[in-house]
Parts: sequence; structure tokens; C-alpha cells
Amino acid sequence: MAFLPAAPVLLPEYAGLEDLVGALRAACVDAVTWLVKEAGDTVQVVAPPPDPANASRGVGVSVGTRLAAHLTAVAGFGGRVEAADGASLGSAVLVFGNGSARRGEKAPGHFDERASAFDETTLGALVRGEPAALAGLDDELGVELLADGIAGLRGLGRALAGSPVAASTLYADDPFGVQYWVVTWECGS
Amino acid sequence: MTLKLGRHEFDDDATLMMAIVNRTPDSFYDKGATWAEDRAFDRVAQVVGEGAEIVDIGGIKAAPGAEIDAEEEKRRVVDFVARVRSAYPDLVISVDTWRAEVGSAVCEAGADLLNDAWGGADPGLARVAAEHDVALVCTHTGGVPPRTRPHRIEYADVVADAIASTVGQAERAVALGVDRRSVVIDPAHDFGKNTFHSLEVTRRLGEMTATGWPVLVSLSNKDFVGETLDRPVGERLLGTLAATAVCASAGARIYRVHEVPETRQVVDMAWSIAGRRRPRRVVRGLA
Repeated sequence: MAFLPAAPVLLPEYAGLEDLVGALRAACVDAVTWLVKEAGDTVQVVAPPPDPANASRGVGVSVGTRLAAHLTAVAGFGGRVEAADGASLGSAVLVFGNGSARRGEKAPGHFDERASAFDETTLGALVRGEPAALAGLDDELGVELLADGIAGLRGLGRALAGSPVAASTLYADDPFGVQYWVVTWECGS
Repeated sequence: MTLKLGRHEFDDDATLMMAIVNRTPDSFYDKGATWAEDRAFDRVAQVVGEGAEIVDIGGIKAAPGAEIDAEEEKRRVVDFVARVRSAYPDLVISVDTWRAEVGSAVCEAGADLLNDAWGGADPGLARVAAEHDVALVCTHTGGVPPRTRPHRIEYADVVADAIASTVGQAERAVALGVDRRSVVIDPAHDFGKNTFHSLEVTRRLGEMTATGWPVLVSLSNKDFVGETLDRPVGERLLGTLAATAVCASAGARIYRVHEVPETRQVVDMAWSIAGRRRPRRVVRGLA
């Protein structure tokens, strides 16, 4: 599986003349390209639901869902891309989420002194390949810190409890005061 | 459609800055500041540095004045074109002339574009453009002779007249062998027009762009701006830029200007508002 940020700046409809996230975008494409090689005919997507306020304004499809469609197309994947149903997890899963958006004075959510420690815990669990640590993340604190997709990470952590994981980190940085990561997990059974 | 200006090609959504370079002692705006050849060459360096894609070199001011014959016009521009060609191989060189004889000489020296600012006064100029495979600007003057001011000129419909005239010249040029991708039309603000006419062609410029021919506008510091705002030459930049924004919204492709960076910003902004250009660096609200 691959863990990617649900950042709208990665969507083609929000591209500028200059790409401000070239390294992040390249890492996302590398991760998805790796993922779809072993995907069979289906890629599953775990993405935070559409923001309720955006949904009330008529935007009913989440950024993660749109990014999954975009990135799998860029990777040349021709199969199905569908939401994971929770009951059965396939071999190819895209998991969207990111750390806090309160990492500095100029961050989207301004500065919160708790952000750094929270992100260290989350990123550490991903980078070291520790499902149990994901399962133990504080979802409520994540919401307060504008971290996205923490509930999904918790669910995955529970589902993969006990599995051996080989993790690979392709990107980890916070260029706009938002913690991003691109991490792949190869899970044993 | 791709725009082909001599040896250069541009995408069909590109906007281009054409910087005015006068080799004249008496043009209205710079009053001879670049009359000396080295000063004109400095002006080219300046506008290239500012991002202009085109320079428009002129040897005769538009307004009435001392008679300049073809020999003197050639003395002013031909060697200068060759010098600019040699120094700036990637620059589009336009020459503002109505004379076929001058057009032919500057094409030999490396010009890419003939800016026929007097609306086909010399019918041989389009033939020269075809022979040298350079581009041609077809302008509307209402039929007035070169270097005359409009005097009591009226139109039932100035925009219809401008379209009929410029499109007619464009089709004729293509029939004579000019590449269809190399023909540009220009309503020619203030040429054969009073201020009301120039305001109307600005307001209705979309009718000209709707013809499908790429449109050039030459608005810079002109009298219609001055009269509209009651501002002398030297205080017309804001009015020029307001007119520029309107023309950019309507889809004008080439802007003949004195002030390159200011015009570039206005055109980029209007072009992005119109949805034809992406913003340069975007992350606010999207991180």
C-alpha cells in the first residue's frame, strides 16, 4: 500500500504555471506506479470523506478520491479504482492523509505547539512500518490539528495488526506548514 | 492557430509584447530619445531584458512632419535591423513601414514582420511579405493617406469598417502567398479615428477577435487616452493600461507598447481572469 497526502495542490485543476510541489508530486507518482504493478485489476482507496462544508457547497467527491483517479491514470493503470469497503483489504491500497496543518505561523491553521509531537508519532509509525502505532493515534487531536485521514490510518493499523511490514519513505516534508508524507508499505501475511 | 512571425512560432494562447523602438528624431512619446543608433540599440537591450518578444522598429513618425523619402527611411532602419538581428537571434523584429521598397530591404536585413501601419497604402508591401515569408500586420485607417491626422472623419459603424478593411487586406495577403499563420489584424486606434471611434473599437474589440485572425492593438499613450482623461503625453500610462485590460479580455494577442513590464502584468492578469492562462504560483488554500 501507499500513503499519500490529500493535498488539493496536487490536483491538475489547481496546477499553476510553476509547480511548487514538484518533488512531492514525483514521489506520489513513483509510489503509485510501484503500487499498480502488483495491483491486479483493482486499486482500493482509503480517503477521508468530503469535508462536510464543501459537500454542502456541492462538492461531493473527496480530494483523495480525485487524486486517486488522477495518480492511477498518470501511472497508466487501466483497472478499477474504488473505495475500500473495510471488510476485505486487497493488496493494492492508496491511503490518503497528512499530518498537521498547524506547523507554523504561516501554516493554513497557524501555529499549534502540539503539532510537532503529533506528526512525529504519526510519521514515525509510517516510516518504521508499525501498524500497532497507527492504531493508537489520537483521532480527536488529529482533527484539532487539521491533520487529515487519521481515522483511516487507525483503521488500517487495526486491520494490519501483527503483519510484518517493509516500509519505504519517498517523501517527508512540510513545505507550507503542513506535514506531508509519501510512504509505501509492503505487507507480509 | 499557431502564430508564425518570420523565423519564430508561438502557441495559439500566447500573448506577445511588441516594444516600440523609434529611429526618429521627433516621435510623440520619446521625442527623439532613441534617435541616435546606439540609444536605439540600448532601448532594444532594455526591452529584451524586460521580456518583450517583439521589437517594432520605425524610421518615420506617424504624425505629419518633414518629408522622409524611402532612401532616408532605409538609412534609418535597414542597417539597424541587421545589427539587432545579429545581436538577438531569438527576437522577433518588426519594422513599421508602409513602403514595399523599405519592406524588401529590411527583410533582406533580417526582419520577421512588416507592420503596415497605414492600411495597405502601398499595395506592394503584402507581396514583399509573401516573397520573404515574413508576417504582415493589416491595419485599419479608414483610407486616409499615410501621416495624416483624422479630420471630421465619420463612420456609420467604425468596427464593421475596421473588420471589413483588415480582413479584406488579410485575405488578399494570403492570396498573394503570405502564410495564413503569419497575418495579424489591427484596428489601429487613432488612425483615421477620433477618440469616440477609438473607444468604440476598444469596447467592441471582441468582434475583431471573433474573426479568428490574431489581433494586435496599439494603444500606448495615444491621444484617445489623453483626451478621455485630459492627460498630456507622459501621464497616460494608467489610461493605456485600462484600455489594455479591456483588449486583453477580448482576446488581443499582440500589444504594441512603450512600457513592457507594466503591460505584461496587466495582460497576464486579464488573460488569467479570462481563463486563458494559469496563475503562476498557487498554493493559498490548496496546501
